[in-house]
Amino acid sequence: MSATSARSPAGSVGPVTARPTAPGSLGVADGSGPDDPWRRKRRPAHGHASWRVAALWLGPALLLIVGVVIYPAIALVRASFNEYSITGLRRGSAGWANYANVLQHDDLVTVLRNTIVWLVAVVTITVLISLALAQFLAKEFYGRRLVRWAIIVPWAASLVITARLFTLMYDYYHGILNTLLLNLNIVNEPVDFLGDDRWTMASMVAVGVFVSIPFTAYVFLAGLHAIPTDVYEAARVDGARPWQTYWRITLPLLRPAILVATVLNMIYVFNSFPIIYTLNERNPGFIHDTSITFAYKLAFKSAEKDVGMSAAAGVFNVLFILLIVVVYLRVVRPQEELR
Amino acid sequence: MTSARMTVVAALGAAALTLTACGGGSGADSSGGGDSGGGDGGKVTSIKLVAAEYSKTNTAKFWDDFAKAYETKTGIKLEVQVISWTDIDQQSSTMIQNGSPPDILNLNVYASYAADGLLYDADAVLSPDVKTDLIDAFVDSGTFEGKMYGMPDLSSARALFYNKDLFAKAGIARPPTTWAEFTDAAKKITALGNGVVGYAMPMGPEEAQAEFSIWLFNNGGDWKSGDDAWSINSPENVQTLEFLKKLAVEDKVTQNNPGRTNRTDGAFSLFGSGKAGMVVGFSPLSATLDEDKSIDYGVAPMPTNDGGEPQTYGVTDYLMAFKKPGNAAAVKAFYDLYYQPEQVNTFIKAEGFLPVTESGLAEFASDESLKVYLDTLPNVHLTPTDDPEWDTVKLAVQQNIGAAVGPDGDPQAVLDKLQEQAESGS
Repeated sequence: MSATSARSPAGSVGPVTARPTAPGSLGVADGSGPDDPWRRKRRPAHGHASWRVAALWLGPALLLIVGVVIYPAIALVRASFNEYSITGLRRGSAGWANYANVLQHDDLVTVLRNTIVWLVAVVTITVLISLALAQFLAKEFYGRRLVRWAIIVPWAASLVITARLFTLMYDYYHGILNTLLLNLNIVNEPVDFLGDDRWTMASMVAVGVFVSIPFTAYVFLAGLHAIPTDVYEAARVDGARPWQTYWRITLPLLRPAILVATVLNMIYVFNSFPIIYTLNERNPGFIHDTSITFAYKLAFKSAEKDVGMSAAAGVFNVLFILLIVVVYLRVVRPQEELR
Repeated sequence: MTSARMTVVAALGAAALTLTACGGGSGADSSGGGDSGGGDGGKVTSIKLVAAEYSKTNTAKFWDDFAKAYETKTGIKLEVQVISWTDIDQQSSTMIQNGSPPDILNLNVYASYAADGLLYDADAVLSPDVKTDLIDAFVDSGTFEGKMYGMPDLSSARALFYNKDLFAKAGIARPPTTWAEFTDAAKKITALGNGVVGYAMPMGPEEAQAEFSIWLFNNGGDWKSGDDAWSINSPENVQTLEFLKKLAVEDKVTQNNPGRTNRTDGAFSLFGSGKAGMVVGFSPLSATLDEDKSIDYGVAPMPTNDGGEPQTYGVTDYLMAFKKPGNAAAVKAFYDLYYQPEQVNTFIKAEGFLPVTESGLAEFASDESLKVYLDTLPNVHLTPTDDPEWDTVKLAVQQNIGAAVGPDGDPQAVLDKLQEQAESGS
């Protein structure tokens, strides 16, 4: 289920690719003119729809939201205030004890540090690589269609399977990566990518970037296509050099796309469970866990085996990512773009 | 302007919630219908079994056939859900949280469930002649506070697997019987070079407690001392863990990073590919190796520290029955049928494990390849699964003991900490 949930940003790509006029749109940044057929549809000639009709159209979506967002959220909060036996049996109310236990956990600092490193590294590297990649894909060249499809592939594969494949590739004894490095005489003995503390996080970040690039690159690609060509013509007439053009025109006009891709990636990378869980499976304790796998292990794998404590950690997770997103939005001040 | 921003924040908040809610993996949808409870105190018309998947090929097939036989015999429907070992803890915990446990649950622990008062004891659901047929060691391990709750479904015993070709190449005449001989053999095999290691040691989280158990039993150690007190940091156990660390760090006769190697995809796969001279294995590993036919291996009793009588470490899993209104008779009929030799022994044979009944011992005795295990089965050493505290200790051991066999590992400190955790009951 984590594998599918991590795909959720895909949902927001729909409008982007279908409507290249509104890059990275959240449905608010609508730069289209009055002739846009999309806009006309929104204003039926007969005035407002009756509440019956509205309910009919909204009903399924609302039910879905109640079922998959609101109910689990309530259940999560409720569980966090209850005391559970190791078997999962509810023993009674726990008050704030579960929250206190999470905050007093010996490995909390390690886990938080891992989470920040993971989040910042994956999102930053993904955005930088995707910017370059989108620029490349926006050019006309022979076989472009093929390359574009190839980049979608990692996105289409299940995260668990991708992560499994990477554990095989990283393997100390049989991994293709070590075979390659040894044969090229880059290293003298194999690198323990997933077991050596110096390499584990970097190895996981590489996979995180690999699976985040397709979505990000396509958001940027849509953004590039939306930049009017006359702006570039004007720049050329004024004698702007390529780098100046990129720095002064492309990047500023790509800002909304970058903003949306960054925020969605932050949420998606933060919540990424399968990569860290799978690649970190063999390591004892919490040394390379992020707050998401930490919460999972608290419930089912570690000596705590406590559903209530795990639920409290889950509530902290939601608050944590909300805080980060809000801080990010404050820093980049999206008002201009998202008005 | 502000309202647009609020919308964005709210939308992102909802997205964060959705993703987190899914990522946490509540799995609440998979508990199935709780329709088996009679409610009115009458008899149930169907019961549900949640079984662990020992193998993709056999487990589901056996239980489906079993369900048909059960329905024919009793007229009660048996709903079967087979779940992989990686997910079954999570799923069973979710079922109990939601107040809809299955009628029968197949798991490797039971004592916590008994302590929570969720289970029927054997007096209620096991026929006396079925109980007398069970091997005594397993009755003991299934007994919590004087009553038996953990009915064994199958058992396994561990032994030393060695690669005969590598032994011949290294000039080792016979499998080692003492730790000194073991170290010597491992060194000779490692010296063969070409990436071969003497001993594949899985001390990663998957099954570290099993690997440590078999070594400590062969050093006169145990998890608990005679008076039922924890003895995790006993001198014997510390010596055992120091020996394992020495193999890894000083002698360098193990694979890379044994504290972070799991059993199935780590140690077993190394041994199976002919890259490890020795590994602690069990009968399902034989089945895999026989099928692959890639290496020539032998199975020997474990070496002991002082050359004394080898001790066998065994594991049994359980079929426990949950108290639900009106299901006692149906559950009893389930056990009656399961412990029929043609059922239980068929299952065990198909999965490549060892019997749990005296009649099963007799039936399996003719199988030469199982002799090394069967001879020792009645005297097998088990982990203290009859103590609910073990369910926690086991997890703590799995998550922490690997650190002790690393270059900076401190066996004494790791075991002291585990002992402290076990005694404090947290």
